[in-house]
Amino acid sequence: MSLGAVPEAVPESWGPEPPDSDLDDLDVKARRELEATWRSPSGLLGWLTETSHTALGKRYIVTAFVFFALGGIEALLMRLQLARPENTVLGADLYNQVFTMHGSTMMFLFAVPVMLGMGLYLVPLMIGTRNLAFPRLNAYSYYAYLLGGLLLYGAFFLNVGPDAGWFAYVPLAGPDYSPGKRVDVWAQMITFTELSSLAAAVNLITTIFKHRAPGMSLNRIPLFVWSILVTSFMVVFAMPAVMSSSLFLALDRLVDTHFFNPAEGGDAILWQHLFWFFGHPEVYIIFLPATGMVSAIIVAFTRRPAFGYTALVLSLVATAFIGFGLWVHHMFATGLPQLGQSFFTAASIMIVVPSGTQIFCWLATLWGGRVRFKTPLLYVLGFIAIFVLGGLTGVMLAAVPLDLQVHDTFFVVAHFHYVLIGGAVFPLLGGITFWFPKMTGRLMSERLGKLGFGLVFLGFNLTFFPMHQLGLEGMPRRVYTYLPETGWGDLNLLATVGAGILGLGVLVFVLNALWSLRFGEVAGGDPWGADGLEWSTASPPAPYNFFHLPTVRGRYARWVQDEDQPVVVGLRTDRREVLVTRTLDAEPDHRDILPGPSGWPLALALTTGVTFIGGIFTPWALPWGVLLTGLALIGWFWPQTDMGRTVLKEKS
Amino acid sequence: MKRPPQLDVSELPTVVFGSRTTLWWGVTGLITIEGTVFAIVAATYFYLRGGAVEWPPPGVSQPPLALTTAFLAVLLASLAPMHWTNKAALRGDLRGIQIWLAVTTVLGAACLVMRGFEFSLLSYEWRSHAYGSVVWTILSLHTLHLLTSIGENVLFLVLLAKGPVEDKHLLDVTVNGLYWFFVVAAWVPFYFILYMDPGLFRP
Amino acid sequence: MSALTALALFIGRIGRHSALQPAGPPAERINGLWWLMFWCLTGVFILVLGALALALVSSHRRRLREPATPPAGATDPATERRMTRAVGGAIGLTVILLFVLLVASIATGRSISPLSAPKDALEVEVVGHQWWWQFEYADPDPSRIVSTANELHIPVGRAVKLRLTSRDVIHSFWVPNLNGKMDLIPGRNADTWIQADRPGVYRGQCAEFCGHQHAHMALEVIADPPERFDAWLAAQRQAAPLPASPLAQRGQQVFLSSSCPLCHAVQGTTAGSGVGPDLTHVASRRTLAAGTLPNNRGNLAGWILDPQSIKPGNRMPPTALSPADLEALLAYLESLR
Ligand code: HEA
Ligand code: HEA
Ligand code: CUA
Ligand SMILES: [Cu+2]
Repeated sequence: MSLGAVPEAVPESWGPEPPDSDLDDLDVKARRELEATWRSPSGLLGWLTETSHTALGKRYIVTAFVFFALGGIEALLMRLQLARPENTVLGADLYNQVFTMHGSTMMFLFAVPVMLGMGLYLVPLMIGTRNLAFPRLNAYSYYAYLLGGLLLYGAFFLNVGPDAGWFAYVPLAGPDYSPGKRVDVWAQMITFTELSSLAAAVNLITTIFKHRAPGMSLNRIPLFVWSILVTSFMVVFAMPAVMSSSLFLALDRLVDTHFFNPAEGGDAILWQHLFWFFGHPEVYIIFLPATGMVSAIIVAFTRRPAFGYTALVLSLVATAFIGFGLWVHHMFATGLPQLGQSFFTAASIMIVVPSGTQIFCWLATLWGGRVRFKTPLLYVLGFIAIFVLGGLTGVMLAAVPLDLQVHDTFFVVAHFHYVLIGGAVFPLLGGITFWFPKMTGRLMSERLGKLGFGLVFLGFNLTFFPMHQLGLEGMPRRVYTYLPETGWGDLNLLATVGAGILGLGVLVFVLNALWSLRFGEVAGGDPWGADGLEWSTASPPAPYNFFHLPTVRGRYARWVQDEDQPVVVGLRTDRREVLVTRTLDAEPDHRDILPGPSGWPLALALTTGVTFIGGIFTPWALPWGVLLTGLALIGWFWPQTDMGRTVLKEKS
Repeated sequence: MKRPPQLDVSELPTVVFGSRTTLWWGVTGLITIEGTVFAIVAATYFYLRGGAVEWPPPGVSQPPLALTTAFLAVLLASLAPMHWTNKAALRGDLRGIQIWLAVTTVLGAACLVMRGFEFSLLSYEWRSHAYGSVVWTILSLHTLHLLTSIGENVLFLVLLAKGPVEDKHLLDVTVNGLYWFFVVAAWVPFYFILYMDPGLFRP
Repeated sequence: MSALTALALFIGRIGRHSALQPAGPPAERINGLWWLMFWCLTGVFILVLGALALALVSSHRRRLREPATPPAGATDPATERRMTRAVGGAIGLTVILLFVLLVASIATGRSISPLSAPKDALEVEVVGHQWWWQFEYADPDPSRIVSTANELHIPVGRAVKLRLTSRDVIHSFWVPNLNGKMDLIPGRNADTWIQADRPGVYRGQCAEFCGHQHAHMALEVIADPPERFDAWLAAQRQAAPLPASPLAQRGQQVFLSSSCPLCHAVQGTTAGSGVGPDLTHVASRRTLAAGTLPNNRGNLAGWILDPQSIKPGNRMPPTALSPADLEALLAYLESLR
């Protein structure tokens, strides 16, 4: 297999993890100690108290893929139901649950967590540190996410699956028209996943600002890390909106408040404003990390710097800013005043400029590089074709008159699958293929990879391209069936066939991953000759990531090396010490001591679980849950005094 | 093998203060999130108000302005001892921390008592109308924050009394102070929105 | 490119019930905007894919031409300068094109807005219900207001202003050949307008998810020449005719003594509830249950006996009737022309 030679500019000393024989005795001893300090305990207890970002990151990604498979199976069920007019695979009640589950799963339990999971796994490796800034918070994020998912699916299998759509418009989702617990389950699932994303976002922001390797000033941060940073800021400002609105919804449903009840001074459109103030940024929260992956892959497979680093970073920032000013484009059909609508059309059109800039910069990078057609790059090429088409239909939707025609039809369904799957899932599959050797130590099979890509690309277009036409022909979304006279049957059948091929492609991808886990070619530290610091670690990385923390002299850390470039020494190996650097220039500032394995994150997640899940059934769960949560927090923050810190006052 | 050149960081401190620390960034992140929640609740208030025929709805009477203003005054007054707590922490003065943190906590507890009266004097419930819903939510949300912060202060007082106290705790104390400042500041706009509104913000 | 071949295939088959078969001014304006956007953006798409292909070829050639791998990360200043110009130019063109599209969009938006509807428009109130449509033809004299369901009759060539609201959840009124959609929101009113320039039947369907039977909430707009429309309206203003045959008379008793009047109205009788569709002229309508079934005797019988198996979850309970009662009831309902 030819993977291209290891770039000459990388000095041998930068090879990941020199063998013991290359080190002197002192270093060997230090490394043993480092290993013992950072290793997670084994066994079930070790699993439950895990705080390592690589372990938790992998857990995040695997869990998200399980939810992707579940969401995908739901998608196939919907496609079967819609394949023929008046089909009876799923009845109305089940279909409504299934599309709600599909949308909610894909958005809240797959797309956002998988992107954050990639960030949580990769960021510390890419910026050259040993763990995230808040290792226990990371564990909490994971458990909160898992609980949210278990709640949703537990309820679904008990036939209490939510059925009001992934944006649960009131009054349909309110107490009068959705009695029972279905929507409550949805609202609490939202609370869990938002808590989890918020915690992850704060963790990532802090890590990126404070834990970068010396020399990695802001203008040298890898593009993927930039995308995660910007995304995390979007999470911080967007998620509170949906947390508040789902709180209001829960209150309306459980204790008879009237936020959304027009009869008592509430307002149904308020929900839409709050939801989309989150919901629109949400789609960029999914998309921006994917653009980071695209940049990383293109740079690695063209073996040249990204064209327009600054433009790419500014595009991310601009997208994030403008992204908060578009939400009303989901509400054009509510009949808001014209002037306001024109403003949101203009904003939606403005956001094309940063997206276009990104596309143009990537095209230029490809043009000026030496491209190697490996599977990850193929996914990127697929991304460009599909995402651009989806973006262009987005421009059509941004025009109010056109949107009034195709809003809430399969045209919109086509648009958002083009941007979500083309814009996020394609880069993700490419990214997984790209970083798989880092995570597991083995490469994925190229042949299966290309086969999977071909099936996914073909199946995707067959599934979703016809939906544009269906929408124009008047097929609304979220219909569990349609009459033969409508003439929608043939294209729906085509879409269903496409979905089968797409599913097969995903299956090939998953099987490839499983097969390669055992039988893939052994990767070594840097199988692609890539630029990022993550490739300077062993594959999979040692528990401490880097034996000596690296320093950085340029944007493409492994490609820009000086002979005299130092490594960091002097961090203690007998406790979890990490280097904290300055926010702007990443000069060494101080040392921090990170906490080790802990059971409190799980405990806290369980007590929040009692609060939120219990709250669906009885208001008494709230005081009890808050009390328990308080206790868990006290346990969490109870000082650990075995770190060898300076004692100011002895125990009295 | 040749040893690479080295950048020795063993002399760097392990305890520093302010925005140099990750803890500060973490808590600032939390404050930003919660501040956004408060902002969204305020936006909700104004949105509902904009759609209402009469706001507040007929029959609504507020707790006396004397009470709500006293609440605000005591809450604001607690900023001073918390500031001195921080100063003491920067000096490494454990006694000072204990004294001023205790004063802050007492003032906070006084606020909590007044808040209890505030609740009991509302002439409507959360289920009376949308106005009631949003006001009760605002008050409850803030009270929950107040409770949590007071709980944190008490926890610190206990830990400081009990020992052992390490240098890192000084940083923890200052960051706890930061959060207290937020809880106090968050109330100021709501005082005006809820209790001065009919006079100040009528369009 | 599979997408492009597919595209060519689809343009050929644009169905009767389609946003791209406009039958009136608003839909026509939108159709114009659609084709403007379609051609501009298809052009953009082809250009991007073309640039991608060129980029790959150039990149691949460079790799073949210079087999000795230079250090990774190296760039050539001349190439970078050319790329800067190309990218800058592309961004500039993007901004210009976007501006054009924005202006076109706003102009079209103005021309379809309810404010620009002709002044002599007919006014109809549309009320959404789970899962059927209520149409009320305004009249200064309340006794002359006509209320019908799921079938909107309009005169050809005259604008019709629709005032939209809902009694329960949010629905959305959409007849693609006539105009874009507009939501029906409880507690609010929204306006839109339609106009049909050719007689015909235009199908529409509720577009906002509104619960169980969102899929079966269709409507038909029937555009007739003005005289026929006037005749229809005059007929609808009449109260229900008294049942003529003995069978139909018995049917009326069955109707009034069973649970039907709890939800339905028949003008001229004691049945006056507005929960379900007004049945005064039910036999004149083309479909049953909001476009779910053609309106004929068999379907009507099936619907009355067991609506839940036809449209599961809908608000109408089954009615148990003896065969003789059913026969009579059907005769009565069929007399309500
Ligand atoms: C990854 C997710 C993602 C992304 C990136 C986007 C990107 C965009 N989206 Fe999309 N959108 C969704 C996910 C996404 N969307 C989802 C999930 C929904 C539906 C939710 C639901 O209802 O369930 C939705 C719905 C949606 C609507 C509402 C439709 C409706 O319900 O009626 C609108 C309307 O304006 C819209 C617009 C846009 C625009 C203008 C962009 C732009 O950002 C696109 C910009 C990109 C390009 C245009 C391509 C690249 C640019 C060039 C190559 C330059 C040259 C181009 C030109 C000159 C035009 N989107
Ligand atoms: C990232 C988000 C995302 C993704 C990836 C997808 C993926 C898919 N979606 Fe989804 N979709 C949404 C987000 C997404 N969707 C949203 C937000 C909605 C709106 C919901 C609403 O209206 O409320 C929606 C709605 C929606 C509809 C419209 C329903 C309606 O309005 O009535 C349809 C219909 O065809 C559909 C189809 C599909 C298909 C065929 C896929 C395919 O790509 C799926 C492919 C994947 C598979 C087929 C899985 C394969 C798995 C295996 C083979 C098992 C592997 C085994 C192990 C791992 C052990 N989706
Ligand atoms: Cu009414 Cu959908
Ligand atoms: Cu959007």
